[in-house]
Amino acid sequence: MSNALPVVDKKFEPKDFKSDLKPIWCPGCGDFGVLQSLYRALAAIGRPAHEIAFVSGIGCSSRIPGYTTAYGFNTVHGRALPIAQGIKIANPSLLVLCAGGDGDGFSIGGGHVAHAVRRNIDLTYIVMDNQIYGLTKGQLSPTSPRGLKTVTSSLGSLEDPVNPLLYVLGYGASFVAQGTAADLPGLAAIIEEGIRFPGFAFINVQSPCVTYGEDEWQIKEQRARMKSLESLGHDPKDQLHAMDLARAYGKELYTGVFYRNPAPSPTYDQLVLERQKEKGASAPDPARVLDSLIQR
Amino acid sequence: MLDNLVIGMAGSGGDGIVSAGETLVAAAATEGYYGIMTKSFGSQIRGGESSCRVRISSGPVLNPGGTLDVAVALNWPDFLKFGAELPVGGNTVVIYEAKSGVTADKIPIVGVTPAEVVAVPFGELAKKMGGTDKAKNTVVLGLLAGWFDVARETLIKNVAKKLAKKGPEVVAAAERAFNAGVAYAAEHPLKSDMRMAPPKDGRGTKILTDGNDMCAAAAIFAGCRFFGGYPITPSTEVMQYLSREIWKYGGAVLQAEDEIAGVGAAVGASFAGVKSMTATSGPGMSLKTEMIGLASIAELPLVVVNVQRGGPSTGMPTKPEQADLFQACFSAHGDGPRPVLAPTTVADTFGMTVEAFNIAEEYQTPVILLSDQEIGQRKEACTPVDTAKYKVVERLRPTPAELEDYTRFRFTDTGVSPVSQPGMLGGNYLAAGIEHNEKGDPTASGAMHGKMNDKRHKKLVPLVHRRDLFHVEGDPAAPLALISWGSTAGVCREALAIARRRGISAKLLVPYLLFPVAEEVYHEFFIGVKAGLVVELSHQGQLYRLLRMYVDVPRGIRSMCRSGAAPYLPEDVVRELRAATLGLQGETAETRQPQE
Repeated sequence: MSNALPVVDKKFEPKDFKSDLKPIWCPGCGDFGVLQSLYRALAAIGRPAHEIAFVSGIGCSSRIPGYTTAYGFNTVHGRALPIAQGIKIANPSLLVLCAGGDGDGFSIGGGHVAHAVRRNIDLTYIVMDNQIYGLTKGQLSPTSPRGLKTVTSSLGSLEDPVNPLLYVLGYGASFVAQGTAADLPGLAAIIEEGIRFPGFAFINVQSPCVTYGEDEWQIKEQRARMKSLESLGHDPKDQLHAMDLARAYGKELYTGVFYRNPAPSPTYDQLVLERQKEKGASAPDPARVLDSLIQR
Repeated sequence: MLDNLVIGMAGSGGDGIVSAGETLVAAAATEGYYGIMTKSFGSQIRGGESSCRVRISSGPVLNPGGTLDVAVALNWPDFLKFGAELPVGGNTVVIYEAKSGVTADKIPIVGVTPAEVVAVPFGELAKKMGGTDKAKNTVVLGLLAGWFDVARETLIKNVAKKLAKKGPEVVAAAERAFNAGVAYAAEHPLKSDMRMAPPKDGRGTKILTDGNDMCAAAAIFAGCRFFGGYPITPSTEVMQYLSREIWKYGGAVLQAEDEIAGVGAAVGASFAGVKSMTATSGPGMSLKTEMIGLASIAELPLVVVNVQRGGPSTGMPTKPEQADLFQACFSAHGDGPRPVLAPTTVADTFGMTVEAFNIAEEYQTPVILLSDQEIGQRKEACTPVDTAKYKVVERLRPTPAELEDYTRFRFTDTGVSPVSQPGMLGGNYLAAGIEHNEKGDPTASGAMHGKMNDKRHKKLVPLVHRRDLFHVEGDPAAPLALISWGSTAGVCREALAIARRRGISAKLLVPYLLFPVAEEVYHEFFIGVKAGLVVELSHQGQLYRLLRMYVDVPRGIRSMCRSGAAPYLPEDVVRELRAATLGLQGETAETRQPQE
């Protein structure tokens, strides 16, 4: 089932992953920073663009695959993860990236995250979290803080926000990290580490909406607030401490790897390959698929 | 001697009546008979009432048959719960449990005097000879083998084989129970000779399977190497079969977290270049709608199987209905066309499934295969499919020259453009649910949107000229017409044959391709037609209304439709056909000039 990939012996630069499409994002949008960091991470990884499948949902952030030279798939709202998993299972040799916004990942598509986690399927999921629905012009998002006034909550939101970090840690994810568009080298390093991680890697990125976001969420403010987990002396092998730190989502801006399982479960895609190898040893002829049904 | 035998049996869940039916149809198939077995249950997971209908024939069978030749009631309350599913008529032999205390002249079948009514002490024989009340179903098998002379040798062999792992004592007890049934039949002969004619073909000439397994096997043949789905009655056997078998062929099955993820993963796998399928039923189909639209606009091959059940909503999960035709043709927003195919039997489910994959690949489109509970879950004994007859189509992939400057959605004469896949150097493009230009870049241009809609519709035009996707049977010049699809088409085929024997001349059109609607095919079929029926199991008469939307349907064609659950019987259709011929005669009379 997997396709033999041509070996390309070449050093890559970030610009090799930049497409000719001009982003629709507003000037100053955090997503530009995510895109730049991703270019750098991909150059460091060194897989050619045609061996990368980059899947997204719907939203400003989900336009990102089109701005890369990878095979992109800008799908429907909330369903990037199932589609990305189908790609990975169909061809495990591909590097599969998945991206979307907080609405995509924790509202309409929230049900899919837990299952990608428990399969530990080898792909990297980048959520560009801006606490607002920007593409539809400023409605509440699942990560909007309680009380936030928006066009759909003109009297203030009545709900607590989702805590993406704590949710995904709670699902049992083996790689959970957070970055910010305010720190491009840091974010590039986190993305690179996520891609290299053998299994499902979840990266929450604080990527502010310059048009509908609150002032205190913007790049400049983030730069002042961010604290690296490393500087706090956090050991990314310590799952409980990671959860403790993740509780500060919305209050503190921690960056870096919250949790990295030192002994993750085998990936779903690897197990698929093993099963195909084991069961496919006899290589039956598909033309004889009905033979076993003959009543003798 | 009989060429054809329809047996209906009912009992409580624990009576093993369905298992007896399975053993019977399998033994008959082994001996070379054709056959169909359907089963029907109450909604309980265990216990409750259960029934089956077994039809055995020396020639091909297309439906489970009409009025029963033989009715077996292990207890009356359970038998009666199935009502019209197990119709007793004047030619039926009724066999029931003597312990019920009901005398033969007092059986609770109202308004019909069956040909023969026989009380048999099933439970007593089972206990005495088989050592347990549970052997009742084996006594039934012995009795049927004795009276109707079906597959006696194979039956006893198969019963023994089935129980072998329970030890020689259990096998011996079962053999005694079976022989007790045979002996009882010999001691109490039926008034009329109802022995089955021997099969025309020899042993080992039949395959036995249900529509869902057939669909899954055909998918493997057609090159399907990824299945994403979610369990839902009555389609789950498709996933069950593939989850056992597909690995051997280098494929994979993902039982997804929900219906949307199942089809989503299939869309993803197709994007990655692998033939993919999902299978579901009504509620799941509703959930998958958005993904079908995505596959349309991204021009990705995808096969979506809908094994229809009664709806709307949860509806009737274990009963057949043909009320998802509108949904298959039209669900999804926007002008997203998708071919819709429907098999009519377990046997032709193979060809239609292969066709679904071929069309999906050739035209880079989602294809909906509309099966139904009846076809999906009935067992059919039929001649093996000659797989050599079927070709397998692959999607058009770009040549090395085309990859030099690749344009994914390039406008072509056919509307089909070569499709690359991740891993292909130079083929990189953006697939999207958003409207795009030829390169795949997002666009908000109305002109481009119109051109892309043209492209997506143009691709499918050759389909309506595929005459092989339409079968016309009967007298081509007949003024009386039937149109039917899916499992109901099998009922109409038999109705046509019965009508012919009664001197009624009619013809039947069976569309295997339901959408796009092949207007020419229907127009041609309607030439010379004065009256007719579009026969289907849906309250609204969905095929009839679909045809009215696209085709000039003659005034004399009317809809014969009703809600599902109990399939039509061939006699129902013959009766309506007869009424239609009388109507034609009446019309001729009306056009006569009055005499002074």
